[in-house]
Amino acid sequence: MAELQLVGSLPRAELHERVRARMAEFGGALRVIAEDLLGADTTIDWIAVDVQGQVAVVLLGQAGRELELIATGLAQRAWVSARLKDWLQLAPNLGLQPEAKVRLLLIGTAFDGTARQAAEALGEAVELWTHRCVRNGAGVDVLLERATGPASSGPRSRLPASPPISAFRSNLSDPQLGLSAAERAEFEGS
Amino acid sequence: MPRSLEDVVHFYLPEVEGPSSAQRRAKVSAHTIVGVPIGDSDVVRAAFVWNLAVEISRAGASATVLAPAAGDTASLWPDPGRGPMGSELVLTFADGMGDLAHAAVDLAQTRAAESPAGPGLVLVRLPPAWLPKAADAGALLARVLLFTSPDTRDLVETYALVKRVVSVAPGSTIGITVHGVRSVGEARGAFSRLAAASERHLFRALVSYGLIVDDLHVYRSILNRHAVGLAHPQAAASRSIGEVAQLLLGDLAEEADRG
Repeated sequence: MAELQLVGSLPRAELHERVRARMAEFGGALRVIAEDLLGADTTIDWIAVDVQGQVAVVLLGQAGRELELIATGLAQRAWVSARLKDWLQLAPNLGLQPEAKVRLLLIGTAFDGTARQAAEALGEAVELWTHRCVRNGAGVDVLLERATGPASSGPRSRLPASPPISAFRSNLSDPQLGLSAAERAEFEGS
Repeated sequence: MPRSLEDVVHFYLPEVEGPSSAQRRAKVSAHTIVGVPIGDSDVVRAAFVWNLAVEISRAGASATVLAPAAGDTASLWPDPGRGPMGSELVLTFADGMGDLAHAAVDLAQTRAAESPAGPGLVLVRLPPAWLPKAADAGALLARVLLFTSPDTRDLVETYALVKRVVSVAPGSTIGITVHGVRSVGEARGAFSRLAAASERHLFRALVSYGLIVDDLHVYRSILNRHAVGLAHPQAAASRSIGEVAQLLLGDLAEEADRG
């Protein structure tokens, strides 16, 4: 049996393809109805619909730009939500439920405490997922893990439970630290 | 305060490890043990621990520091015995993690028996060289507190310590206090780097226990053997160490509420 080994991220096109192949792991038996669709200024990776007709916007983010991904996701979800009734008229066979809240699935390499708290504050319809690339013999696979969001009714990732959250804690503020700007400037760059 | 024979009998009878001993230990309440890795000449972390004990005591809880007597204890610690605000330093002749764990458990139970109503902590110095032989020292590693500066090299060393602790005590709760910082953002950034690495590679969350500001009062405290919180109660260092104490005690209270 080949040894599993974590590897760095894949080129975006390849990552895109492999994540799409694992769409079922997001739960709800998602069916992709649009791909690489130009939405609110930028491209939406996937728009999918589940068996109940709830629409999901799925975005694949870039490492280190997770907060931007959340903001983009909100804009794209608003853009999609505003068009659902039109799409239902154009393609009634899709079975869209325009009244249902659009799920927002954001996929990144890692989400820090701030990003997770922001997503949780936005409510249940925002889910953060992390992806990791694993070499399994000659091939590379992508594993998806839930970082935040409601429990999935669909199949879960094969990896252990998603990493727990480590959040920095302090109620102190910089003024309470007692260092003036001039004092702090003495050390900057050191 | 009346004490039952069961509270003290283990001081007089030889320990026989087995179900009956384990059951007795489980029945006797004990203060929480926090292991803190501190190197042989690491006067800075030793000073943090000592000052933290004083702040815990000042907050109304019992705080005892337990350290191995071997080596140059004089450079690390003040004189053993009761110190400011009722905090206490106890030296033990333990020469390995197993003995140190037994000493810590006995101390935690004894101090809990003395003040059964209040919360309490036993902060135990763990010589890093002993960590690889920690298989029989679960009590010392159930909760570990690590101090790190934002310096990259220090973060790497701290991460290595996290990894070592996780390898010998997978269920350990690992807390991080970032010291030597000049802003809250600097502390947050250092913690985030460490936590991200731990979550990604070890699948382990870290618990934040605030920060200790880079303050000359801390270094004066080390040199003068004075608790910074008492000598300079309004100093930024006192506030930040006091917050670390409050975070620790807050977690203990939450755990107690959860039963």
